[in-house]
Parts: sequence; structure tokens; C-alpha cells
Amino acid sequence: MADKYLVEPDVGFIKEIGEYGGDSLKKCFQCATCSVACPISPDTKPFPRKEMIAASWGLKDKLVGNGDIWLCHNCGDCSTLCPRGAKPGDVLSAIRTYAIGHYAGFPALGKIINDPKKLPILAAIPAVLFLVLGLILKIFGVHWLNFSPERVFEEGDTVGHIAHHAFFHTWLVDLIFVPASIFAVAIFAMGLKRMLADMHANALLEGKTDKQKIDPKGFIEALIRVVPTILKHSKFSECGENSERGTPHMMVFFGFVGLAIVTGIFFVVLYGFGIHGPYKQFNPVKILANISGIALFIGGLLMIKNRMAKSEDQVSTYRDWFLIGLVFGLGATGMLTELSRLADAAFLTYMIYYIHLMFVFVLFISLPFSKLAHLVYRTTAMAYNEYAGRK
Amino acid sequence: MDKKYGVYICTGCGIGDALDIKSLSDIAADEGLSCQTHPFLCSQEGVALLKSDISEKGVNTLMIAACSRRVNYDVFRFDGCIVDRINIREGVVWSHGRSEFPALTEEEKADEDKFDRVQMMAEDYLRMGMARTEKVKLPEPYQLENFTKKILVIGGGVTGMSAALDAAKCGYEVTIVEKEAQLGGNVAEWRRQLPVAAPYETLIPTVVDGKIKAVEAAANITVKTETEVARIAGEPGNFTVTLKNVGEKTEFDVPFPLPPEMKVDEKGKELDVDALLVKYKAYNEGKKDILQFDPNGEKFGAVVLAAGWRPYEAKDGEFAHLGLGQTPDVVTNYQFEQIAAKGKIVRPSDGKEAKSVVFVQSPGSGDDADFAYTGAVTSMVALKQAKYVCDDYADGKAYVFYQHMRTPGLSENFYKSMQQTPGIFLTKGEVTGVSKNGSTLAVAASNTLLGENIQVNADMVVLATGMVPVTVDDPVVNLAYRQGPGFRDNAIFNGYADSNFICFPYETQRTGIYAAGAIRRSMTVEESVEDATGAALKAIQCIESVNRGVAVHPRSGDMTFPDFFFQRCTQCKRCTEECPFGALDDDEKGTPKPNPARCRRCGTCMGACPERIIGFADYNVDSIGSMVKSIKVPSADEYSDPPFRILGLVCENDALPALDIAALNKLSYSADVRLIPVRCLGSVNVIWIKDALSQGMDGVFLLGCKHGDDYQCHFVKGSELASIRMKKIGEALQSLALENERVAQFEVAIDEYDKLPKMINDFVEMVEGLGPNPFKGF
Repeated sequence: MADKYLVEPDVGFIKEIGEYGGDSLKKCFQCATCSVACPISPDTKPFPRKEMIAASWGLKDKLVGNGDIWLCHNCGDCSTLCPRGAKPGDVLSAIRTYAIGHYAGFPALGKIINDPKKLPILAAIPAVLFLVLGLILKIFGVHWLNFSPERVFEEGDTVGHIAHHAFFHTWLVDLIFVPASIFAVAIFAMGLKRMLADMHANALLEGKTDKQKIDPKGFIEALIRVVPTILKHSKFSECGENSERGTPHMMVFFGFVGLAIVTGIFFVVLYGFGIHGPYKQFNPVKILANISGIALFIGGLLMIKNRMAKSEDQVSTYRDWFLIGLVFGLGATGMLTELSRLADAAFLTYMIYYIHLMFVFVLFISLPFSKLAHLVYRTTAMAYNEYAGRK
Repeated sequence: MDKKYGVYICTGCGIGDALDIKSLSDIAADEGLSCQTHPFLCSQEGVALLKSDISEKGVNTLMIAACSRRVNYDVFRFDGCIVDRINIREGVVWSHGRSEFPALTEEEKADEDKFDRVQMMAEDYLRMGMARTEKVKLPEPYQLENFTKKILVIGGGVTGMSAALDAAKCGYEVTIVEKEAQLGGNVAEWRRQLPVAAPYETLIPTVVDGKIKAVEAAANITVKTETEVARIAGEPGNFTVTLKNVGEKTEFDVPFPLPPEMKVDEKGKELDVDALLVKYKAYNEGKKDILQFDPNGEKFGAVVLAAGWRPYEAKDGEFAHLGLGQTPDVVTNYQFEQIAAKGKIVRPSDGKEAKSVVFVQSPGSGDDADFAYTGAVTSMVALKQAKYVCDDYADGKAYVFYQHMRTPGLSENFYKSMQQTPGIFLTKGEVTGVSKNGSTLAVAASNTLLGENIQVNADMVVLATGMVPVTVDDPVVNLAYRQGPGFRDNAIFNGYADSNFICFPYETQRTGIYAAGAIRRSMTVEESVEDATGAALKAIQCIESVNRGVAVHPRSGDMTFPDFFFQRCTQCKRCTEECPFGALDDDEKGTPKPNPARCRRCGTCMGACPERIIGFADYNVDSIGSMVKSIKVPSADEYSDPPFRILGLVCENDALPALDIAALNKLSYSADVRLIPVRCLGSVNVIWIKDALSQGMDGVFLLGCKHGDDYQCHFVKGSELASIRMKKIGEALQSLALENERVAQFEVAIDEYDKLPKMINDFVEMVEGLGPNPFKGF
């Protein structure tokens, strides 16, 4: 028999979860309809019933490091069937928000990203950064920022065409983006280390695993085993209430994957072979980039539509809109940059490209602080659950 | 009254198709009675026929052979006439379909040895009706000589004041007696109370002040504080009540019956009547006998008992495992309310702020029962008091550990609203121990929603102990009744003042005394106010029945009352002792003194009387006895294989309706039984059984309500007393050389109609196994 667990409710935690969209948490009367209704909850120690009582008692330590909050895909079946309107789906979502902030650290930066009032500041950071860095470099004679970019001519090309690297030099862009992405990765690494330790401790305490230690080899094998599940979005298709969410999520997901591949190829080709963009429209890499961009754009659009339609059943917080806005903005500005470039509208395309760069920057630095962090934490939690052998 | 008889046979509803109406009519005609048939007797035309016979021919005693008396009772009601309803529809035709009990063919009819069981049944019922009408009289109501409509309310708390206000609004004069110096009762001591109106979400100031103001403003309410009841003597409509100062000794303090241990001598032998009287007088030295009325007593028509509750007093060490008595910071909910009423919640031990409080709803120790005398109330009180903690301190935390969270009705809204408070934490679980942990308390709980074993640190612990009805300590009503000053057998209701909890709320085992509020069960203020209305209306109903000389529920409107032929009384006191309602007092010699207004007309006295001197105008030993004797018992002289005859005495409260429902569902039972409805099995006099057996009937069964602790008897004790009497009848049967099994009693609930046929048929089969009664044919 386990030792006595000293219950020390944190009323502040309850209030904070409420602010993140989980204000219905105290309505739960522990009937466990949610745990039965949930299509993806495991049979042993199912969620979200136990998370609901822990939340209404303000037991932060039982929730933040609890892997189950990440197994939830917020499909909403539990919230729809809840006889008390306690909306467990939204409560778990709010707890995840809290957990992201908890593991990311840097609360000041987290606040800038997650506070709607600070949005102008957030947008201003890359806007100013690019200009200031470019201007400073100009002083030293490095002209990576050109306000009157020249057209680029290729062999046999008399008209020439617009190339964005003539405006912001690729090195200027990478001078900013490479450290930004290293920053994001570093924060994730630190967060993940703590999270995995907490998750394991929680699983041991609640009897969700019989493994005493995390064996790296076994864990990575488990991770590989869950990859098909993630790629196929099979958990989404198990959801009854919000199954239509699977499609846009898949579009956005694969949009990002495609763009990540394109960016990787571009990076290697540029620095390895010194070949600049833009690529021709029939280049396979370009085709992949275009399809991914369109998927991102349409997926983002569908997400907005779904959220609007569900405004009564599901809480949508600033964090949700921030992420969807970011996704949609990335897709939209990316595609518009290309289209305006092809239309040869020089001023317009440079302007939109500038905005697009702002979006990309925000994406990188907000990655560990925003809802987008779920791609790392949820993957880890699913891998851990697979590793723990819970059915 | 000179009886002029008329027999009317309805041939509708399948009666005419199933029976030989001609030979049925001949039964009446043979006795020289006029007999008419009608195809649809309850129609306008049929009733007109009856009415014209009454007015034109002077018929005043009608025997209507048709449907059960439980239907069309308003159609066949003729004031000033005796009406007997012979049940040949539900009792014969519907319950004995011709497909199962075929009529005789023409050939069979010619054979004298053949008989038609169903026809025999109808003919017997007609004979029984004729026998009964000959023996019964038209009832005349019992009118009190002195009569008052004033209502006495005992207890000036929320319930008492509400009952008084309701009765006063209906135009009745009310007196409230309250033992404390002011009105208000327990509720006056509280900080806040539970909501009483929609949306049932927030705590409200108590309703006490408003009630007190209303009582003071009401012209027809008299309030007597620091007063209690010395005795209530007499009967409803004419109670003589002696009031006195609290604790005062007066000569009209009610005498108490001798406790059982004083009724025996040193050797344990029961004392004789004279010795008992001497002891009784010594025991009640200085008190006037119950039959002596206080000349200065106040007159009341009915009483509402709203004496309320007191907090449960834990025995020494009873809840030691929860820390009660071990540390001052463990208190009961009653004590917690006192702290809350004074101001912010502080620890009794050092007066420091109590920001963390654990509420324990169940004493635990392996049992999931709540504390005694709690019901749903303590669940809600815990929520209320938890809210105090969060109201007093922004960072206050209140934990409620419950085995049952009971918030009935719209109180669910209150539960939801309290649950929303961030500082209130609820879980099912068993509190296993409370121990000191430095300056705070460590509360350990197991099997909670949060996990197997948890611990909470708290400044205070509150135990949800219950509300004990004051009738546990004291009779309060102090009735000058021979059976004693309080209600009998209250132990089966945990000491609550009640008689028939589910079916007849407010009624007690004493007519004219109606209980309301926490004296009946633990109740919230809202429930008590509603209860008060119910009891007030019951009291009014009683007054408005007694003034017309008719019975109260469950025989509402019955004009009969028990009549005693005192010349033959042997002063055996059985009637006085067995009356479930204490209606009879007796004098020094033991002669019973009836108080008809206390009587509920069940006839238990009639069943008890060995001399058979008690009877009602339309229901007596002779009338039922004559019915039994009128049943034809076929013998071997008449038929080579004569049918058996079984008598069934059927309680008309639940068993008879169940039989009617069975008939309505076309469920059949043996056609060899003859059923006689009785007011209550308690009224069954064993002479009827002896009569039946000595005239050759083969068996007798009694069909009545369930008895025991969860009794369903409408007259509390009737079916239980019958079962005791049936056990004793065995000796009488043996003297007749008859088997004990020939007499049996069955229990049936009103909804068990489907079990009845088997019950009856099994008995008939068993008796058939015993063989015919050897007295047959004598």
C-alpha cells in the first residue's frame, strides 16, 4: 500500500486554470462518464476523471507532470457527454497550457507570447530586429539589406526576375533564424528533461507503469512505434465529437513537415552548392513547397471555420487563436509572397515577404511557449505511454 | 328503522352472460324479498330505478349485486339507506372466467350430482349480503357535547410558528407553547440558513425574524413562552390541556404507567390487579388520575407537535478516533455553528483564525453509515459551513469528506453552487483518524476519489452529528391516556414521532396529535416549513371531522364508532391495551372508557374482546358471523364429491384492492373460497373462525397487510395482533381435533395482486390435502 499522500490544494492554480479556459472544472461530480466516453483513454487508470478531481482540488503536482494530459487530443466527446457541463476537454486543455508555461521557463517571454495585449510588442521584435541588424551591418559595409533590390538575371534571361534575397540577404535571415531555432530547441530540451522525469514519477505514483526506470533504447523504440500513429492521425479518427478536426490538423501537420523538408533542402543546397532561390516552378522541391504552403493555408482556414462553429461547445482562448492565426498567417503570407513575386509586383512582394519573415520569427521563438509546443510534449507523452506498456 | 329490503342484480359487465340470473334471483325470492335485474344498473336509468324504489316503494335496505364496492360508491350512495354491495363482478365473474370454470351443459344440469362452482359462489355471496343487511343498522354519528376548534402548537421554532401561522390564516385560533423564553428555536442561533426559494444557490439570513414578527402580528395566535404541557386529557375536539411553567411540579402532571420491572414481584411473577393498582398509585404519588380533568385546563380541538430537535450528544470516547473530546479543535457541526454565529471562524484552542477546516460526514470505522439522526440535512449543513470558511477568509479551505452527499430536490442547485467555490473541496472517502500534528490537526482518509490514502492538515475538524428528536428524551405531549403519555413503539422509528412514515405523513399513533418538522425526521428549514403546513391542515381536517362525528383518515367520513355492551364486560382490559390509538382509558376497576373521537374505527377492540360486546352499527361480530353462517357448505349427502369451502377474511385496505386489481387483470383463483372484507385484520374476532370451522368449512385464511418493523398496516398494529391471535387459535383447533394448518394468515401489499391467486390456490390445495372438515354435514 502506498504511503499517505499529503493533499495541499493550491487555490491559485485552480483560478489560473480557470483563466486558461478551464473555469468549468469545479462542476465535476466524479461520475466518470468522461473516462468511459473518451475513445482514446487507456483502460487502466483512464483519464480524465482523475484529472478532474485533482484539478478541482488544485493539486498542481498531480497534473503538470501527468502524461495523461497530453494523451488527450481534446476531441470533446467527454465535454459533450458530461452531465454537469464540466467540460473535461477544456479543463485538460487549460492544464496543458499551464504545463507548457511550467516547462518552458522564461515566464516574461511566455507572458509576451500569451498575452493579447503584448501582441504588438511580439510583432515588433522581428520587424525591428531585421531592420536594425541590417542597418548596423550596413554601417560596417555589409549590404545584406537592400531597400532598392536589383533584379536577378539568369543565363539568357534579359528581363530578369525578383529575388527576395536581393532584399533581405539570406545570410541576414539566417543570422537571425538559426539562433532563434537553437533557442527553441534548447528550451525544449530543458523542458523535456524535466517533463519526462515528472511524467515517470507520476506514472509510478499512480501505478500507470511497472517500469522502474526509463531505458533510453526502449524509449526510442517506443517513440518509433508511435510515429505511424501520429502520421496517420489515427487518434483523431477515434474521436466522435470533433472528428472533422482531423483533416485540417493533418493538412497543417503535413504542411509544416513539407516546409521543413523544403527548408532543409534549400539550406543544404544554398550553403553546400551555393545555389540561390527562387527555384523554378517545376522543380520537385518547389512543387512540394507549393503543396505544403497551400495545405497550411487551407488547413488554417478550416481550423478557423471549425473554431467559429464550435464557439458554444468549446472554449477558444487567445492561445488557440494565436496558434491558428500564426498557422494561417504563415501559409497566407508565404503563398502571397510567391504569387506577388510571380506577378512581378516588386513593392508588394517585398512588403509581404517582410511580414512573412515576422511570422516565421514568431513561430520559432513562440514554439516552446505556445500551444504549438504540443507537437513535442504530446509526442513524448505518447511515446512514454507506449513505453510504459499501459493498455 | 323498519327495514324494507330490495335486491337488485346487475347483468351488465359480463355478469348476465356468465351466471344463471334466474336461479340467483330465486335465492332472494325464496326469502320473500323483491328482486329485480337490470342490464346496466349504474346507468342513469338504473339509478333512477333504485331511486324510485326508495321514494315510491319505501325501500331503505338495498342489496346491489353488481360490481365491487370500491367502484361506483358515489353512484350507489343513498343517504338514509343501508346499501350492501354484493361483489359478483370482480369477486365472481371476472375472477372466474367461464373458459376456466365452464358452466354446466343442459345434460349436466339434469344430473343432480353435478354442480357449477361459479354459480354457487354468486349465490353464496347473495346469501351473505342478505344475512349482513339483516344484522346491520344505519350509523348515527357520535357528537361531542363540548367542542372547540382551537389548535395547540407545541414548540415555537420555525416549524411551530409556521404551523400556527398557516392554521391562523385558515381562521383557527392557535396557541403556541414554547419552553424557552423567546420564540425561534434552534434556527435563531444560526449565522445563515440554507436557501428556501429559487434559485436555491446562496445562503440566506434565517427566516426566524420574519416568522416571529408575523406571529406577533397575528391576532388569533397566542404565544406562551417558558411554558410546557403538563398533560393533555380527553379527546380530539375536546382536549383538556394543563400548561405549566417549565420544570414546575403540579398535580396535573401526567401519571406514568408502571415500567415492566415494577409489574412483577421479587420472584418475577406478575402481580394481581389490586397490587398493581397500589403500586401504580404509589408510583404516581401526588398526580391526579388520567380520568380526572383539570377544571382550569384549556380546551383544544387538535394538537400540532413541533417540539423539534436537540444536538446529538456523543457518548464518552464515542468519536475519539476522530479527535472529539481529545482536542478542542474538533467540534460538532452544532458547535461550529455557534462559533460561526459569533463572528469569524476561529480555533477554540487558541482563538487563531481557522482557515483550513475538514468536515467529516460519516464516523467511519468500516461502516459507511453517516452519523445517527442525520438524513440529508448534515450534507447540506456541511456545505453551508464550508462556505462560512471561504466567506471569512479569501484563502480559506474547507474539505468535506463524505460517504453520502445528499442534496435532495432543488438543493442540488445549492450543491452545485457550493461546489463552484474554489476553496471548497469535496470527496467521498472514509476518515480514518484525526491526530495532532504540531499546532494543526492531521486528518487521514482512505478510499477517496483522490487516491487510496490521503492526509489533509487542518486547523479544525467538524463532525456532522445529527438532530435528535426531543421525543427520544421525553414524551413532550404528556397524554393522559391509559396506554401512557407518549407514542408507543417509537423505537422502530428511531424515536421519531411517527406512525406510518411513508403513507400517512404527520399522523401519529394518537388521533388529533399531528407531528411536524424535525420531530418526524431530520429536516431543513425549508422542509420544516412545508411540513408545518401539512400538519396544520391535518389538525384542521381532524377538527372538521370530529365536529361532524365522523372518523379521520384512513376511514375518513366513517360515521360509525365502537359501541360497548358494558353489562357483560369482564374488565379484562384487552381492548384498552390493544387499541393501536390508545382510544380507550379504563377506570380503577378496569372498565373501559371509550373516547370515540380518538378512535379510528379499525375494530381492533372488537377483534380483541373475548366477550364479543364491542361492535359498530354496520360492522359487528353478529353481522360478519351471520355472513359466515349463511355460506352453504355442501356435504357428502348432497354430492358424491362435494366441493371444499374455504373462508377468506380480507383486509379492505390493501388486500381487497389487490383482489380487485387481480380480477381486472382476469387472474383467477379457486372458486371454492368465500371472501369477506374486514376493516382490518385486527378486527377479526376468532369466533368467526370457530363458526366457520364448526359449520364444516374446511379452512380459513386471513389476508392482510405486512406487519413487523416495516409494517404496512393502516392501523399500525392490526395485522400484527391478528397474527398473535392466530398463533393462539391452535389450541382451540386441537380441542376440535382439527389441524392447525386449516387456519393461516397471509401478508400482501397492494401492488402484489399478481401473487394473490397462487397464495389462495396454494392454501386451498394444502387444505384439500388435509381432507374435508370432519364436522361437515353436522
